Amino acid sequence: MRKLLLTAAAVVMSVAAPLSSHAQNEPYPSRQVKLVVPYAPGGATDIVARVIAERMRTSLGQTVVVENKTGAFGILAMEEILKGKPDGHTLMVGNVSTNAITPLVYKDKMKFDYEKSITAVARLATIPAFLGATTAGDFKPKTLAELIEYGKKNPGKVRYTSAGIGSYPHYDAVIFAKRAGFDSVHVPARTGAAGMVGDLTNGDVHWAFINVASSAGLVRGGQIQPLAVITDKRMPEFPDVPTMAELGFPGVGTFNWQGLFAPAGTPQDVLVKINKAVNEALASDEVKAAIAKSSGTIVPTNSPAEAQAWAKQEMDVWKKIVAEANITVE
Amino acid sequence: MDFLSNLALGFEVALTPINLLFALVGCLVGTLIGVLPGIGPVATVAMLLPLTFQLEPVSGLIMLAGIFYGAQYGGSTTAILVNLPGESSSVVTCLDGYQMARKGRAGAALAIAALGSFFAGTVSTALIALAAPPLAKLGQSFGAPEYFSLMLFGLIAAVALASGSVPKAIAMIFLGLLLGLVGTDANTGSERYTFGVAALSDGIGFVPLAIGLFGIGEIIANLAKGEESRSVLNQPIDKLWPNKQEFRRSVPAVLRGTALGSVLGVLPGGGAILSSFASYMVEKKISKNPGEFGHGAVEGVAGPEAANNAGAQTSFIPTLTLGIPGNAVMALMIGAMTIHGIQPGPLVMVEKPDLFWGLVVSMWIGNLMLLVINLPLIGMWVKLLQVPYRYLYLAVLVFCGIGVYAVGNSAFDVLLAAMFGAVGYMFIRLNCEAAPLLLGFILGPLMEENLRRAMLIGSGDPMIFVNRPISLGLLIATVLLIGVLLLPAARRGREEAFQEE
Repeated sequence: MRKLLLTAAAVVMSVAAPLSSHAQNEPYPSRQVKLVVPYAPGGATDIVARVIAERMRTSLGQTVVVENKTGAFGILAMEEILKGKPDGHTLMVGNVSTNAITPLVYKDKMKFDYEKSITAVARLATIPAFLGATTAGDFKPKTLAELIEYGKKNPGKVRYTSAGIGSYPHYDAVIFAKRAGFDSVHVPARTGAAGMVGDLTNGDVHWAFINVASSAGLVRGGQIQPLAVITDKRMPEFPDVPTMAELGFPGVGTFNWQGLFAPAGTPQDVLVKINKAVNEALASDEVKAAIAKSSGTIVPTNSPAEAQAWAKQEMDVWKKIVAEANITVE
Repeated sequence: MDFLSNLALGFEVALTPINLLFALVGCLVGTLIGVLPGIGPVATVAMLLPLTFQLEPVSGLIMLAGIFYGAQYGGSTTAILVNLPGESSSVVTCLDGYQMARKGRAGAALAIAALGSFFAGTVSTALIALAAPPLAKLGQSFGAPEYFSLMLFGLIAAVALASGSVPKAIAMIFLGLLLGLVGTDANTGSERYTFGVAALSDGIGFVPLAIGLFGIGEIIANLAKGEESRSVLNQPIDKLWPNKQEFRRSVPAVLRGTALGSVLGVLPGGGAILSSFASYMVEKKISKNPGEFGHGAVEGVAGPEAANNAGAQTSFIPTLTLGIPGNAVMALMIGAMTIHGIQPGPLVMVEKPDLFWGLVVSMWIGNLMLLVINLPLIGMWVKLLQVPYRYLYLAVLVFCGIGVYAVGNSAFDVLLAAMFGAVGYMFIRLNCEAAPLLLGFILGPLMEENLRRAMLIGSGDPMIFVNRPISLGLLIATVLLIGVLLLPAARRGREEAFQEE
């Protein structure tokens, strides 16, 4: 027993030692790097983080682990990265909901000033979406025009789903219905995109903005009727599906993006290093293939400054959307 | 002969050495994490997801699937030996499995659990092969109103989980419902009972609650007893294997559990959770000696274990045939497919028959492997019970702490588990049982969500529950169940059970 305890103590000390002797000016990274993901494992953001972490290991020469910290619209994940020293060893992979909408809509829930505390380091990927309709039951509309007409004829009887109150598919749907001029009932899904596809295919709801990664197979299988794609150009895989702009709704619908974020006090040279490591990962064949196969597009940023400019621009866009949609959250 | 040629294709894929290896790795990892409380298949599958990038898609999926159903086997081990439910499905196994262990029948309980799971796995895998598409249709006919009625039925049935007083069981169900309310309201985004604690904004976790109430509560209760009676065993271990009578009683329970689990597992979002509870309820209701339940009835282990494994297998049906994940592990499987460029949906079966049939056949092979892994381990597990309690409880507590922390990397959850441990001890002293509370806790949020969704869908008209045939059928069944519970004969049986204590 005593021998066991001694061994255990030795193990603990050997783990703790490098942490305590960690000097200020050691070159980054001096230990394991942690990517905090504000969602449960398996979603689009989690998968992007895991794909990139695997490859960043090679670029940084340190292990990169992914840790899921769900809850409070991403605020818990942000608190997690703000806890320690801002030395670049704890980063966050956020998306449009957590790092553009949350700071605007859930400001009161934050114990810190988002814009002063968190900074973007790199953009990772964007994932396009469909505006899709159910094909279950007696729901007839097969085009966007038919959906709008149906919605106008049956006020309050047409339902849509989203990943929750204040999620980007919720904002998209509110803005779309508003501009198209019909009333639709919001039935939020509790379990993100997984719940959304279930609700759409069993006919509990009639339409939704849903990302291509979660729904492409169901679209091809005829369970979800694609009414429009949220992209600049038509998707090569779905050449018959028009874009929102073609249908007269330019700018409606969100490209979900994933970005890498760090505490604002992180030294500039560390941010540059991380940005470079991310871009190397994004340029690797494995990451390119994994993201392309899940219908995503890689859009790297060449420097932290470029990433920060992009993040600011996103916030400005969302300020307008949030004002127009006027969704009340408590 | 389409079916036979498909099956042949499946065996061809599943029996390649590399796929056999990955099935074995998945089963081993699954068993290990199943045995460790708290560290569940969701976290493990997520961690191993990047490893599958380099593999053929089918090999990766075979391994991930092995982890999932391997964890179902492993989870029952901890439930039986030390009263620790790491997953919602093993809560039921704790009830009679742990009592069997205390009576020196741990080996029998473990063997019955493994054999019952294997049988259920075999039948439900055959079911996936034969009838996946029609079963998937059944799952799809369940919308919010149907789920609500099903959950209502489950909640009423929860009374049957109690081996003691009915009023106490009802009180515990309500307490569970209340605890389930904590968190963010899905429809408005407002916070309920979180007291401004950000860590509570997503509600109380199942793992800290279950491990606290069952595992830690039991440890406190054992430590409160005198030095001599502390051991888990209050009778010497007799024969390791189930005796003839135990076998005879288990067989029909396993058959019924398999049927129940196979059907409920198909329902995405909550069906599989109900399967082990439902099976326990059925076994207790039709048993000639309902008083034995909660005191080590072998049917109470055999039925739910079979139901649980059958449900785990058939929960692959909506995932594989429709691309709709029914639980968090299935969502990860779908994630793994998309990374490999497979778009989950109804076309997977047509476009990738090798993947579909290879995975299905490998599940059966995996179940066989699990049986071979688990049966020889029983002797070792049982020996573990002979470790002096002063060492055993320390080890169990440490694993509880690690497991609870690992779920959400949250120290707050460890505190919660400690607190619920104290509450669990109080419940034991008050003769209140934790199982109905947990069922209320699991079903409450699902019920609320589906009630509100159903009302939105029905434009506020409650007639929607009666107008939809499946929902109506379930409501009628609920009324009948209440009738049975109130029936004098049933009540007498319950009182007898109560007096036996």
